[in-house]
Amino acid sequence: MRKIKSIVAMLLALAMMFAVVSCTKTGDTDTSASSSTDDTTKTEVKVETFEGDFTWKDSVSTLATNWNPHTYETADDAYPLDYIVSGLYSFIYNDELNPVEGKDPYAGYVIVPEMAAEMPVDVTEDIKAQYPQFNIPADATSGYAYKIDLNPDAKWQDGTPINADTYVYSMQKLLDSKLINYRATDYVDGDLAIAGGKNYSLSGRSVKADNSVDGKAFVYEWSTITKSGDGTYITPDGAKAYFAMSATLPYLGDSLTTYAAYNPNHEALMALADEEGYVPVTDESIELLKAFITSDVWGNEPEEYLGYYTVYDKTYDEYGWDTVGCLKTGDYQITLVLEKSLSGFYLLYNLSGNWLVYEDLYESCLTQVGDGYVSTYNTSVETTMSYGPYKLVSYQEDKAMRFERNENWFGYNDGKHVYVDPEDGKTYPMYQTTAIDCQVVEEAETRKLMFLKGQLMGYGLQAADFDTYRNSDYCHATPATTTFFLILNGHAAAIQTREDAEDFDTTKYDLQVLTLESFKRAMALSYDRDLFASTVSPARSGAYGLIGTAYVYDPDTGARYRDSDQAKQALCDFYSVDVSKYNSLDEAVDSITGYDVEGARDFFAKAFTEAVELGYITDTDSDGKSDQMIRMEYAISADSDFMTTTINYLNTKLAEVLVGTPFEGKIEFYKSAPYSNAWSTKIKSGLSDTVLAGWQGSQLNPYSLTDLYVNPSRAYDAAWFNAEAVDLTFTVKGEEITMNLKQWSDALNGTAVELNGKTYNFGDGQADVETRLSILAAIETKVLLGYNYLPMLEDGSMALLSQQVYYVVEEYNPVMGRGGIAYTKYNYNDAEWAAYIAEQGGELKY
Amino acid sequence: MLKYTIQRVLFMLLTLFIIIGMCFMLIRLLPPATLDPTDIHWETIEARREAMGYNKPLLVQFGIFLRDVFTKWDWGVSDKLYVGREVFSIFAEKMPATIIVNLYSIILSIPIGILLGIFAALKKNTWIDHTISTLTMVVISVPSFVYAFVIQYIFSYKLGWLPFVMESGTDYFTWKMFISMLPAVMSLSFGVIAGFARTTRAELTEVLTSEFMLLARTKGLTKAQATIRHALKNCMVVILPSIFGQFIGIMSGSLIIEKIFSIPGVGQLYIKSINAPDYPMFIMNTAFYTTIGLVASIVVDISYGLIDPRIRMGSKK
Repeated sequence: MRKIKSIVAMLLALAMMFAVVSCTKTGDTDTSASSSTDDTTKTEVKVETFEGDFTWKDSVSTLATNWNPHTYETADDAYPLDYIVSGLYSFIYNDELNPVEGKDPYAGYVIVPEMAAEMPVDVTEDIKAQYPQFNIPADATSGYAYKIDLNPDAKWQDGTPINADTYVYSMQKLLDSKLINYRATDYVDGDLAIAGGKNYSLSGRSVKADNSVDGKAFVYEWSTITKSGDGTYITPDGAKAYFAMSATLPYLGDSLTTYAAYNPNHEALMALADEEGYVPVTDESIELLKAFITSDVWGNEPEEYLGYYTVYDKTYDEYGWDTVGCLKTGDYQITLVLEKSLSGFYLLYNLSGNWLVYEDLYESCLTQVGDGYVSTYNTSVETTMSYGPYKLVSYQEDKAMRFERNENWFGYNDGKHVYVDPEDGKTYPMYQTTAIDCQVVEEAETRKLMFLKGQLMGYGLQAADFDTYRNSDYCHATPATTTFFLILNGHAAAIQTREDAEDFDTTKYDLQVLTLESFKRAMALSYDRDLFASTVSPARSGAYGLIGTAYVYDPDTGARYRDSDQAKQALCDFYSVDVSKYNSLDEAVDSITGYDVEGARDFFAKAFTEAVELGYITDTDSDGKSDQMIRMEYAISADSDFMTTTINYLNTKLAEVLVGTPFEGKIEFYKSAPYSNAWSTKIKSGLSDTVLAGWQGSQLNPYSLTDLYVNPSRAYDAAWFNAEAVDLTFTVKGEEITMNLKQWSDALNGTAVELNGKTYNFGDGQADVETRLSILAAIETKVLLGYNYLPMLEDGSMALLSQQVYYVVEEYNPVMGRGGIAYTKYNYNDAEWAAYIAEQGGELKY
Repeated sequence: MLKYTIQRVLFMLLTLFIIIGMCFMLIRLLPPATLDPTDIHWETIEARREAMGYNKPLLVQFGIFLRDVFTKWDWGVSDKLYVGREVFSIFAEKMPATIIVNLYSIILSIPIGILLGIFAALKKNTWIDHTISTLTMVVISVPSFVYAFVIQYIFSYKLGWLPFVMESGTDYFTWKMFISMLPAVMSLSFGVIAGFARTTRAELTEVLTSEFMLLARTKGLTKAQATIRHALKNCMVVILPSIFGQFIGIMSGSLIIEKIFSIPGVGQLYIKSINAPDYPMFIMNTAFYTTIGLVASIVVDISYGLIDPRIRMGSKK
């Protein structure tokens, strides 16, 4: 025994001798570590160390109350997960230790194993042969099954190892049909859909199943739902069918009750409904609902669309865990089998999260309520178990939470979590922050004062702060993915109905002119987008296309969609910019402001002529001016200063453009009553004329945005813009293909579209990036040229960062952001910071 | 008096039952929040509503609720705001912060307010009275959140004497915690001080001109003796019930002050439970505040009789 101790002591002494000495910022500590993502090129590098405490002082408006990875619902609740969870894979900057060919350091990123030990290995062929129950397509050779070796050093905060059993147990609980976990959907319906997961998560559950598939197709065609002996209608499988009055229908995105005001038969239908709002399908209920959906107000839908409003009784079969594609294939190895193929960047991106729960704690936190369960797992210090870089050490509901370093996290000792500082070239450990104090400070004004006293690390600028701080060296702008556009009413039938109303005086007012393309084009050229943004919402910027500047079309290179030639050409087409008059496409695009007063006036003049000819408006005194006012109702959800500023701006600038046109002084926007959530219904049904609304998408997948504009269940203008009637001809690899917009969008998003006996699929991995980019730009152009959406604002935010810290990389990267807490460095430790604040008189200048 | 009190308590229980029943039905009749059609979770949300029993007939749901409350004192489990936690325990945890801040405010406000009122009444129609009365009107007219921001700016930002927000933790009786509560206490106190000063001045002014005060003085009492022994005692018929009211009101908290000073109390719980919507939390809140309101009205009514023996409640003659 003594000998062993002596040998260990000697080895330790030798190790110490070989340790590389280096100085810290304060020049008195040293350490060493190895770092590389590639073991074959492992090199020893000097890693600096830090002295003192470094506390990240954060504030939130709403503190997380439930950060259970299986049940959390909101971004507020996800806050702690950034600190206490590690993904299977993670994103790091491409610094000198992790270079990417052709990329300058810190201009891109590298995906590295984190909770995994290695990159995933495609085992589709093996799994297909071994586990036929997963139904991997016969012709598939890759993309459906991956073997993942797990990091053997991964532990829970109490030191308990995390192994394959942990992953399998956690997935089993996540998908447990009795628990009805909110996040289960992410793993059964999302991109990373686990094979068999959907069936397992629904095992034995009785539901009213929707008869439409995502609002696009039918489970049972309406004609196959037939009358049974007792007068009620049933599906071909014998299940009773109902019209759903109160439940949200995928086809509508709302319930039928939302539209009760427009349905004269609503009360009669509700009288036939059960307490949950389901009306048995009978001859009587069919007649009542058919009368409504085939009416002008509802857009004259055909009778077979009744199937979209139908649900039916369904009890799912029982499925065992062996039907689910989450397999333990070794003590530290799992194999994931997927429902649909996924590979490359998107596979790793989807595996950058995690689903782990600590078994004993999880079981003890479950409580049965009614037929369901609620869990207190990850709702307090006692019920939280970390496996990330930090652990929760204190928590007070609605008040504060504190995290400290989780010393059992493998990343502090594996030598991989280091980076080379682009400024001084030295190597530093990630996660310099030693603790995170987060407290609730709801009032922005209080946050600002606390920030200026050095008590908070950041402050998100409010409208009143922009003039003071927008040019500060400490101010950082962060783009967001939401594009806001003005939607212009083109619902001819609804407008006609409104004009036919007794209280609508057609001698004084008109709305039909809104349906003219020339009118919409004039509106499109009436506003300087950047001026609009700086006036109504200074943190945001002007939007010119439907897809904002934050979107990346090629995650491998980080190339942004709006920087591509195809996207630039789309803007030139929409704003009628003749590229040949400019030296380059870039110059042509740069000339676009959205404001072209002469062009707008020409289109207003044209709209006037057309409207008079069509009898929409009159010019009885032949003065060349419209006799009618065009008063557009702007749908507001609730009144606010923002709404007032926006509408005032729209009116003021429009009035300037209209000078000298036939509509001078004749067009105005006015606020609607507060519609709350019903504003979208008002817009979709043409009962309100305009609104500034937006769509948010996945920053790394702009392709999925196309569905929002061509899918009738999603598009705001579906009642007057039929994407299935708009053809787009596009040449792919020499083949000229003509499909409608809906088909192009579906094909672009991975659906195999059958056309003239051929199948087209331009989804990820099915077509090259440049082809997909071109299709995306072509669809955007077509939608824009419908002039129903006028891009106005691009979302974004600006925030001040404390002088105590700085980002290693200041420039915003769509994938990395600014590196998060891993790449945040401190100018001062906590003690130095307190002294610095005192030196500044307790008040900091930004 | 006893009969009257019992009668009032019985009516209170009936009223409480009706209010809780109505609120129980009404909150569940509100349509659930509109689900984003692009959100792939909507099916799960619907399934959870079904499993939690929210799709059962309302009367059945109400019956289950009453059974659980009366047999197990079980007010339900929060399923939105504080997932999995018993709503009663959440409420009980958050109540102390609200009570303590408001209690400090009342302890500070009542003596100052009454003293200012007495002073103004005794110096009626002098510059002192005019100053106090004017300040009282100004203070009453300005909402408490305005003081909150002014106090934060002056005492926390400029002078750095007080923290911006309340200290975290549940050690409510430490010096550090007390100091951190001061901005909130001060913000709440201004209005209460002004209210008591105005009421006291008005009552005392009237009493001081009464004939019995003249008699007291002619009997040889000094002005101070007459005021303390006779005038103030009479004023209390009005002032004391309002003190009772204030004490009971402290439990309701102040939504805006709790928000500004990050007080983890019950002030915002009600609004949050409606917006969520968190049905069990909402009903717990409704029951509590309705009870508080009803008890307060009974206590105030009965207190009149206790303060002034000439006032008798419930007499048919």
